[in-house]
Amino acid sequence: MTDARVRLAGEDVLLLPERALFWPRAGTLIAADFHWGKGATFRAAGIPIPGGATRDDLERLDAALLRTCARRLIVLGDLFHARAGRIATRTLSELRRWRNERAELEIMLVRGNHDRHAGDPPDDLRINCINAPSFVPPFVLRHEPDGTAGRYTLSGHLHPGVVLAGPGLQRERLPCFWLTPRTTILPAFGGFTGLAIVTPAPEDRVFVIADDEVVPVVLRG
Amino acid sequence: MDGAEEEPPRRRGGGALAVDLRRARAAQRRADRAAQRAASPETPPSRSRGHRVACENREPLECVREWFRLHDWTPFAFQEQVWTAYLAGESGLIHAATGTGKTYAAWLGPILEWLRDYPSRPRPKPEAPPPLRVLWITPLRALAGDTEAALRAPIEDFGLPWTVQSRTGDTPARVRARQRERLPTALVTTPESLSLLLTREDASELFGHLELVVVDEWHELLASKRGVQTELALARLRQFRPSLRTLGLSATLGNLDVARDALLGLDAAGVARPGRIMPGLVPKALEVDALIPETMERFPWSGQIGLRLLPEVIAAIEEGQTSLVFTNTRATAEIWYQALLAARPDWAGIMALHHGSLDRATREWVEDGLREGRLRCVVCTSTLDLGVDFTPVDRVLQVGSPKGIGRLIQRAGRSGHRPGAVSRLTCVPTNALELVDVAAARDALDTGRIEARRPVERPLDLLAQHAVTVALGGGFVAGELFAEVRRTNAFRDLTAAEWAWVLDFITYGGNALRAYPEYSKVEVRDGRYVVTSRMVAMRHRLSIGTIVSETSMKVQFLRGRTLGSVEENFIARLRPGDHFTFAGRTLEFVRVRGLVAYVRKSTKVTSVVPHWSGVRMPISPELAIGIRAKLDEARRGIYAGREMAAVRPILELQAAWSRLPAPDELLVERVRTREGYHLFFFPIEGRLVHEGLAALFAYRMAQLGPISFTLAANDYGLELLSAEPAPIHEAIEAGLFSAAHLLHDIPASLNAAELARRQFREIARVAGLIFQGYPGVNKSVKQVQASSELLYDVFERYDPDNLLLFQAHREVLERQLEQSRLGRALDRIAGGRVTVVDVERPTPLAFGLLVDRAREQVTSEKLSDRIRRMVAPLEKAADAPRFARGRSRGFRSGS
Repeated sequence: MTDARVRLAGEDVLLLPERALFWPRAGTLIAADFHWGKGATFRAAGIPIPGGATRDDLERLDAALLRTCARRLIVLGDLFHARAGRIATRTLSELRRWRNERAELEIMLVRGNHDRHAGDPPDDLRINCINAPSFVPPFVLRHEPDGTAGRYTLSGHLHPGVVLAGPGLQRERLPCFWLTPRTTILPAFGGFTGLAIVTPAPEDRVFVIADDEVVPVVLRG
Repeated sequence: MDGAEEEPPRRRGGGALAVDLRRARAAQRRADRAAQRAASPETPPSRSRGHRVACENREPLECVREWFRLHDWTPFAFQEQVWTAYLAGESGLIHAATGTGKTYAAWLGPILEWLRDYPSRPRPKPEAPPPLRVLWITPLRALAGDTEAALRAPIEDFGLPWTVQSRTGDTPARVRARQRERLPTALVTTPESLSLLLTREDASELFGHLELVVVDEWHELLASKRGVQTELALARLRQFRPSLRTLGLSATLGNLDVARDALLGLDAAGVARPGRIMPGLVPKALEVDALIPETMERFPWSGQIGLRLLPEVIAAIEEGQTSLVFTNTRATAEIWYQALLAARPDWAGIMALHHGSLDRATREWVEDGLREGRLRCVVCTSTLDLGVDFTPVDRVLQVGSPKGIGRLIQRAGRSGHRPGAVSRLTCVPTNALELVDVAAARDALDTGRIEARRPVERPLDLLAQHAVTVALGGGFVAGELFAEVRRTNAFRDLTAAEWAWVLDFITYGGNALRAYPEYSKVEVRDGRYVVTSRMVAMRHRLSIGTIVSETSMKVQFLRGRTLGSVEENFIARLRPGDHFTFAGRTLEFVRVRGLVAYVRKSTKVTSVVPHWSGVRMPISPELAIGIRAKLDEARRGIYAGREMAAVRPILELQAAWSRLPAPDELLVERVRTREGYHLFFFPIEGRLVHEGLAALFAYRMAQLGPISFTLAANDYGLELLSAEPAPIHEAIEAGLFSAAHLLHDIPASLNAAELARRQFREIARVAGLIFQGYPGVNKSVKQVQASSELLYDVFERYDPDNLLLFQAHREVLERQLEQSRLGRALDRIAGGRVTVVDVERPTPLAFGLLVDRAREQVTSEKLSDRIRRMVAPLEKAADAPRFARGRSRGFRSGS
């Protein structure tokens, strides 16, 4: 695992290849767009999607928590994909088992557009749900990015990715962290999520996730 | 009214071309208004010329002969042969070129039968016509109206109490509602609409009186999943009605017996059902030539000539009364239409454009115009390959390679329907090498080599769809439907295990052992598989079929009519104010609302044309053999015929810079450019085979050490491009061209090249994993939409044994890459010699590959190592909305 260390709003943070951001001073792991229960939502609509994405997500989350010793997890919206998936018994029991094994972990959800439709997670998951924007100095936390806010913002929602071009006309589509001067947009954490290709501006920085490494990207016009 | 007309005229640029274009567009507008006035009536008028024949108590065949006589026709021998066979209860396949009387060969059989069985029946009440007796399946819904009109003529003339109607995706809701109450005596429909009828709970009663199914243009359906869909529907109908007869109408193919077997299926004992193969009329005289520029300097060394032959094309159109200009893609059709209009503005109004993305009313207006001889010239794509006669057409041009002999015969056959006329096709090369294609095609024609078309085998995605269809249409017992589908040619080897998997897939979502409680589609009630959910039923009905298209958006004037549709990802690249060419006009993009792209007319000249990602057809194996033979002749200094003489300078240049390959030789060229190190291989086997070979060669070379390739392929060869020189000699030593380990290496290389992932798009759609949606999709539908690539990844990861994944790999092998051709190509290469030539710059043969930008990738390097050498493009202008997902979609979606 190779992380990338960056400085945001005067704070040192690590961009993790587990598709999450770690803020060491606050002992906080931040991730966005889990879309849990998306497979179950599809199945409920008669589309036979195999299960397993949620378990994978939990294993990846565990790996990141273990590596960082984070005390707190903040989810920047879209924890659940839709109502049908939220109440799917198999997904829920998996989540409950996971939660019980990490009773001491504090979890906070900044509600996103999908959460508004799906509804809050059941109480016994003990997830503290708040509306965006939430201010955790020095960061503003929200689901949908907002480049006009006065303070530095951490957000998700976009599922950002870039297309890299290499010698010999090579092409690669990869999820990325997208750092602009006023906001950082996290990659989607969930395994069953797509990518939206973004075009960064000259003053931006982009870090792609290449297997188990976070690699800075050269931007060229 | 078009929105743009209300705006004051704008002056721009000036110059003769601009003035001409303005005049041309004014004429075009007049023509468009005429097109709108001629909006299609609900029931096409019959073709009856009023030659009534009284048939009461007469010998039926006498009546029919009299009817022919009244039209100054005589029944052809083959027509009478088909009637006799039909009356004797036989099925069969009739093959002949279009426009040779196949329709009445099939249609008058059931009429004769009726006249025989009801010699003096009093006329029944018009509101109670006889129930459905004849089903007429046509591959293109655009043909349905015309077929309906042709079928109705004898019905009226003989005074039969029958009704004839069509039912396709274009049928108005009102007519469909009426048909829900009662189907006509003869129904013209498409495979998709037939499957839809099979979802009705009373399906078995609907078809209880069916005597005959005619499958028109069977050669069009045969080699696709739509053909299998037809086979499955036919098996169902034969279950309802064991005495049912089937007649196929087909162009002549290289494998007519296979075409017949697929059409007729197997009997209960698993033996192919008998049926005659009946030849129609002997093909008329056929002439093929090519337009050649007057001066050879007009061929650039690269051979790319594009629109340079425009003056010659115009001269050819002027020679004839009515011309069809066929192109191989819709984009090419748009480009040539624009170019012709700019050069001959006086043709506005008598020249038209016809392709599958245009609005239906426009297409029908064009077709009527062709029939009535109102049009001078129509630029078109394969949408005018099929169907009805356009008698006035006397000149056919083909822009680009004809790609195959059968296709060339079909297109040439659109002309010369006047007595004594010959069918003539003139090829318009867009690069010099296409002249070789023309010469080779003519050789193949002379020796009568026509392509075979191979049916699709065992597509489980379609079987899953069909099983849900039958579950809706009254339900099924597993064992019975298994026996029924095994009576189709496509599924004759279906194993019990595969069938069990399909049942699992539609009832439990793929794996009964893991049964997800929230999953529901098909349920088992008292041993019958049925659908009870109305939601599932609705979604299934909306997504029946196998035609997969990009999400398309309607193109519409701000306050006016619809022009047609283009792919969403083309529109997504446009910004308001951008200009593009569509439906033969320059349009300015205004905005997107829902699934509609609003435009206004523009006077700007632009070269931006929408790209449709349809399947690009490769040259056929028969044509490939001919091309290799022609190149060999050239190698030996033989340049026979005008086409070869014209392309001689290019081929001599190729020989001077590199060489021309002998038939037993594989030419490999090595060259370095600014892009990197190129390897060009020229097996000349057609693009699909080259795609497969490219992936295979790249994979095998990547086994020797870490290296990344981008791949390109066209009909003549393939290209491997790398940042470092590739170890070609080492690779040849290690068995680069060996036919050994193919069964391992091909799937492995395909994984790397992600062809299977791409192929999964169609499978996911057919198997019901992707719901394509419909206008006004609501939130709950959006929540269950995912790209097929994402789905493929999820299946690969969490359900690697899913048979649909295997099918994706198999389809890539069997169809995309034409596996047998790939194996044969390697055998040919292994049995011959390989020549590696270092050249200073890309040769004429290589140039076509250089300009083809559709490339694949194969790599054996670690991802993170590779991406350290890569860059991401920067935002170009400051006006792009920040954080927008997709350029034109704004800020909303988040799934």
